[in-house]
Amino acid sequence: MEPKPHAKHPPYVGIWVALAVLTMLEIGVAFFQGWPKQLIIILLVALALWKALLVALYYMHLRFEGNRLRILAIAPLPLAVILVIAVITEYVW
Amino acid sequence: MAHPAVMQPPAQAEPGAGVYNEKLGMWVFLGSEVMFFTALIGAYIILRFAQPGAWALPGQILNVPVTAVNTFLLICSSVTMVKAFAAIQEGDQRMLRVWLLATVIIGATFVSVQVFEYMQLAHEGFLPGGYVAGSHLAEVAESGVAYKGGPALPESVGLYGSTFYTMTGFHGFHVTMGVLSMIFVTVKAYRGGYTAQDHRGVEVIGLYWHFVDLVWIILFTIVYLI
Amino acid sequence: MATTAAAFDHVAHAHIDTRSFIKRYIFSTDHKIIGIQFLIMSLLFLGVGGLLAIMMRWQLGFPGAALPAGGMFPETMAPDGIMLPEFYNSLVTMHGTFMVFFAIMPLLVGVFANFLIPLKIGAPDMAFPRINMASFWIAVPAGLIMLTSFAVEGGAAGAGWTMYAPLSASAEYSGVSTGQMLWSASIVVLGMASILGSMNYITTVINMRAPGMTWFRMPLSIWALFITAILTILAIPILSGAAIMLLFDQLLGTHFFLPPQGGQPLLWQHLFWFFGHPEVYILILPAMGFVSDIIANGSRKPIFGYHSMVFAIMGIGFLGWIVWGHHMFQSGMNPTLGTSFMISTLLIAVPSAIKTFNWLGTTWRGNIRFHVPMLNAVAFVAMFVIGGLSGVFMASTPVDIQIHDTYFIVAHIHYVLFGGSLFALFGAITFWYPKMFGRMMSERWGKVHFILTFIFYNLTFFPMHQLGLGGHMRRIYDPTEYEFLLPMQGINRFITVSAILLFTTQFIFAANFVISWFKGKRAGNNPWQDTGLEWTTPSPAPHGNFPTTPTVYHAPYEFSSPHVAEDYLMQDRKVERIASPTAS
Repeated sequence: MEPKPHAKHPPYVGIWVALAVLTMLEIGVAFFQGWPKQLIIILLVALALWKALLVALYYMHLRFEGNRLRILAIAPLPLAVILVIAVITEYVW
Repeated sequence: MAHPAVMQPPAQAEPGAGVYNEKLGMWVFLGSEVMFFTALIGAYIILRFAQPGAWALPGQILNVPVTAVNTFLLICSSVTMVKAFAAIQEGDQRMLRVWLLATVIIGATFVSVQVFEYMQLAHEGFLPGGYVAGSHLAEVAESGVAYKGGPALPESVGLYGSTFYTMTGFHGFHVTMGVLSMIFVTVKAYRGGYTAQDHRGVEVIGLYWHFVDLVWIILFTIVYLI
Repeated sequence: MATTAAAFDHVAHAHIDTRSFIKRYIFSTDHKIIGIQFLIMSLLFLGVGGLLAIMMRWQLGFPGAALPAGGMFPETMAPDGIMLPEFYNSLVTMHGTFMVFFAIMPLLVGVFANFLIPLKIGAPDMAFPRINMASFWIAVPAGLIMLTSFAVEGGAAGAGWTMYAPLSASAEYSGVSTGQMLWSASIVVLGMASILGSMNYITTVINMRAPGMTWFRMPLSIWALFITAILTILAIPILSGAAIMLLFDQLLGTHFFLPPQGGQPLLWQHLFWFFGHPEVYILILPAMGFVSDIIANGSRKPIFGYHSMVFAIMGIGFLGWIVWGHHMFQSGMNPTLGTSFMISTLLIAVPSAIKTFNWLGTTWRGNIRFHVPMLNAVAFVAMFVIGGLSGVFMASTPVDIQIHDTYFIVAHIHYVLFGGSLFALFGAITFWYPKMFGRMMSERWGKVHFILTFIFYNLTFFPMHQLGLGGHMRRIYDPTEYEFLLPMQGINRFITVSAILLFTTQFIFAANFVISWFKGKRAGNNPWQDTGLEWTTPSPAPHGNFPTTPTVYHAPYEFSSPHVAEDYLMQDRKVERIASPTAS
């Protein structure tokens, strides 16, 4: 696997700005009075996941790694989803 | 720039993950950390579906403004960390040390703010077991009056306290371990232990640090804002 | 800091080992020594687990009778030698705990993942030798913590090795306080050892296979250990999280599993079994791997269907994540969820069946050598089939309503864990003993041990199927208190006597193990005429394993190969291939 020459770094500071903006958006959404609670929750989770994705892809460099490492990195996630969703059905079905 | 043997997968071996051992090992370890936080965060989500009435509204008990600033600080520390990595990739020893030191300081600050927050909450009467009998919050809850921009506090917050302290506590523990490891890496950097050819330790601690930040990004949202 | 193969070559070439005794054998970073350290620790805990079982069986067979030498137990455990119900509960709990966490798991993984992986893939050591050392030295205190829990006030944990809440979550219900907390603490500490170890095994297998050792040339023992390590690293953290929440319920007044302030006992069950089911595959997959290696060797034939064996291991590993609810059919869980678990559980029998047929296919028309490892491996197949078949009954929810929490389940567990894993371990220990210690175990005493164990083991555990179908519940202190069980008490006595004989027989294995270490016949490089890379090294294998990194040319089980005169072709041996339509 050829090494990647780091002539140009990813836009670390730009990502930082994006993260700060998204955080402020989250706080705005959380305390917004107008919308139903369900919608707020979905928006907040989506914003949090977006931030998490930015950290994973750019700071942890997953965007520039090979597929093998990427698959390894996301492997636990389906299990987490299965566990939480299966047990939630105990209470909401 | 010449690419050094140690920052590549092992020399005499079949093709594996395509990255050097330490990096692969850290990603594998992070997989286990994902599952650990899944247990804690999953329990929280499940309990919240089971007993929604045991939670107060965002901001009623927890201090969102202070924690929002703390969140921003942790994100900054991720930036300083990745700048440290970028510096040593270029061979810039001075900036490596500067950015690593910054990361240590910000990380330690984050933990201190959290400890302060815990102390505040305990003082108000919010502990892992729920309300402290006779405390300010217990009285507010008992009185049934609307509180801090929301409805009355729940009668019992046992689940709220249990999940809040466990999730944030273990996250804080992980940050602390990260800060200690970071100090070790910083000291080694000051002794010239990393080069443009071999800075595995910096990359690997960076991965751990970003992971801890990532978990906090999730936690801040679902614990403080929902 | 030696991390590349080239750097290790340098270490291997240093013929004079100048390390001190402490560095060489106590705080060793050599994967082989660490494997042996785990072996000694685990065999000791296996003995502890067995002793606890014998004490349980004494009470079950002869309720209210004083234990032999019972006078040595304190009043809190067995006044006048007659065990108290609380003490019985602790025995049940600790038998399961020690056997699962401190005997079988470390034997299968701590010993053999450590010992075999670098040797069989052509690596000089693990990817992280110092973390490997840490892994062992973290496991030891975990075991000590678990042992000390017997000595504290209130005794050892007594809610069953599955530690169901709310019984386990509050001293108010169980009567056990410190002992329970020590259980949780010990499990969390052991979890760290497991996670570090698994991280090492996964990294090593992925990144350090010798040239030519492609994924599909790896022996099945390594495939099994690799998939097991993946299961471990993903499942154990769930247990750690759950154990921490349990500890907090006991210690900090949290309410995760305690109903009064909204806690959910069912949450404990889901978390525990989400870990617990992959755990039982962790307890069987390596054994299946060893059995594959040994059966191929004993049959002098390649494994039948090598590729399907690999996919079956993966299939078991994968499906194992979505069957956990079958432990909870009687819990009051959502019935629709239960049905989905029934379906996935019935499905998982398929890959195991594939493996069974492939083992049979391997022995078919083989030139069978009935050496001790082969005897144990073949017994594994037969006993595992019985255990697996009882599993099919349990998978069906309506049937499970009748047999859940009865001795039918106990029979199943022990057929797969003892009849399965433990027989495989007896075979594996015997097989790789020469590579560990440079000597052979006694073949004659190995056969005596095998036959007696096989007989007494079946006499002990088979009747439990009958007990279970007759309604005999698990974890009860005195069967004679239940009128409907009285007609079966004779079976209980029979089982107890068989169990005592079974336990006694194990001293033959222990003696064989210890005596052979000093007096066993010295072994050459390849006493079993096997094809694996480990048999190219001297016995015992030296520090650094290989003088130079080997190159692999062949599949793992090239027995009776047409390309060579001998009936085995080692993986790193270069030969001129003869043109033959049957050659692979």
